[in-house]
Amino acid sequence: MYMQIKEAIPSRLEIIPDFIARLIERLNDLPLNEETIFSVKLCLQEAVVNAVKHGNKFNENAKVEVAILIDSGELTLEVTDQGQGFIPKEVPDPTTPENITKLSGRGIFLIKKNMNKVLFVNRGRTIRMTKILK
Amino acid sequence: MNVKIEKISDVTVVMVEGEVNLSNSMSLRASLKKLMDDGSRKISVDLLKVAFIDSSGLAVLIEAVQNLEPLKGQLRLCNVNANIRGIFEITKIHKLINIYENRELALKDF
Repeated sequence: MYMQIKEAIPSRLEIIPDFIARLIERLNDLPLNEETIFSVKLCLQEAVVNAVKHGNKFNENAKVEVAILIDSGELTLEVTDQGQGFIPKEVPDPTTPENITKLSGRGIFLIKKNMNKVLFVNRGRTIRMTKILK
Repeated sequence: MNVKIEKISDVTVVMVEGEVNLSNSMSLRASLKKLMDDGSRKISVDLLKVAFIDSSGLAVLIEAVQNLEPLKGQLRLCNVNANIRGIFEITKIHKLINIYENRELALKDF
């Protein structure tokens, strides 16, 4: 099984769900189970939203690039913004008693829990998420 | 996403259909807020026809629970599919919001 997709969108929140839906549609032809599709959709959505909000700070002229690679039994998602980057270890755990009732801050946590490996490269401008396909 | 409201005794059932994501979660938030403004204090959100929810949808449900607390109200969830239930458990939100297998159990426990 092999597939490679590369797309880019301007930093506008309202276009993200349709953009992700179109990407997921292209994956539907592959023999991926429902749980994997759900995880991929969730992680892409959360990563692209973070890229628009926190990375590009809603600057419509700044692009968010998304790459999907399926090869050798692994699915890798990469989302890249054009912002200043960030320090991943400074992102608080949303499940602690002081954070659990907060209305934001769960995106990266959900990504880490849904993927087998998550790397931040390019000083946090790129998040690389890998899922091992069963 | 569509929201249908049904009143069963003193419980308001909110039947959500479709995906809950950042493009429509504010619409769900507005529906829940209106119900509270109109006096609903026992709200059961039925997710039978919801296949996907993102963190913006989670935020709306947490906020509704928080808004109901000072009003001595309660919010329940029911018919949550396995993938979405997984999100609630991973994020530990299931400790803030009671989740029931089906609508009848949710209604019974109010």
